Amino acid sequence: MIQSEQSFDIDAVVIVDNDILSRHAIADYLRKCGYDVVEAANTDEAVIALQHSRFSVDIVLCDIRAVGTKSGFELAAWVRQNHPDVDIQLAGSLTGIIEKATDICEGRPNFTKPYEPQSIVNYIKKLRAARERTAQFAPKPS
Amino acid sequence: MKRALEEIETATRQMHVLVVEDELFIRMFVSDALRDEGYTVIEAINADEALDIIMAGKRIDIVFSDVRMPGNIDGLGLLNTLKNLSPALPVILASGHLGYKEASAEGANHIISKPYQIETVLTLVANELAKSE
Repeated sequence: MIQSEQSFDIDAVVIVDNDILSRHAIADYLRKCGYDVVEAANTDEAVIALQHSRFSVDIVLCDIRAVGTKSGFELAAWVRQNHPDVDIQLAGSLTGIIEKATDICEGRPNFTKPYEPQSIVNYIKKLRAARERTAQFAPKPS
Repeated sequence: MKRALEEIETATRQMHVLVVEDELFIRMFVSDALRDEGYTVIEAINADEALDIIMAGKRIDIVFSDVRMPGNIDGLGLLNTLKNLSPALPVILASGHLGYKEASAEGANHIISKPYQIETVLTLVANELAKSE
């Protein structure tokens, strides 16, 4: 039997990209930096990863041209609504689409493609450090 | 001795396994198990993605693929294409419905039935890679 019921306690980064070359390159880089990575080939797989209790996801990096039932923008909106504790970042390469996204979506792409891996690592470090500080100084329940 | 072990470990780490599976959890589980063994793993959701990465020139030492997958071709189509493109590349297929179609999968190094034990996959991959060295 496939023993696939293990759980992933460590926070994972979900990469949503239907281009296997881009997805593998950035996922491989992040793994080598020590991060747990879920590779989603479409937005449906990203939703599965976010909805399943075995995953603890804190960051989603999604190509704006990701395929699936939801577009990249729709996935971003869905994540903000249903998983407000998860940070979603859009990545895109076409200037026109990025400008359009700025008009229609509060979450404009922050990363450009091709990915600059180190800038993504720096972003993850910064975000997680900020979260740790927030958790550290949060008022304790009386 | 230590150096020899390190060399073996390095050689293993350099082996690239392409896992082709459309079910996210199975793909992740198999891929993570192979990574734990020291392999570099490339994950593909279907045969089209698998061919994309192979045609792009990415090094692949062995392919582990599901048979029934959505896409332009299934695992058998991938096998046939790979046997033309790269006849020496070992291919292991997995199927939940071993039948006449799978029986015609000539050229596959192994066909295993789903559900499978992960240890079986790890052993088959290791054995096939050892043969091809």
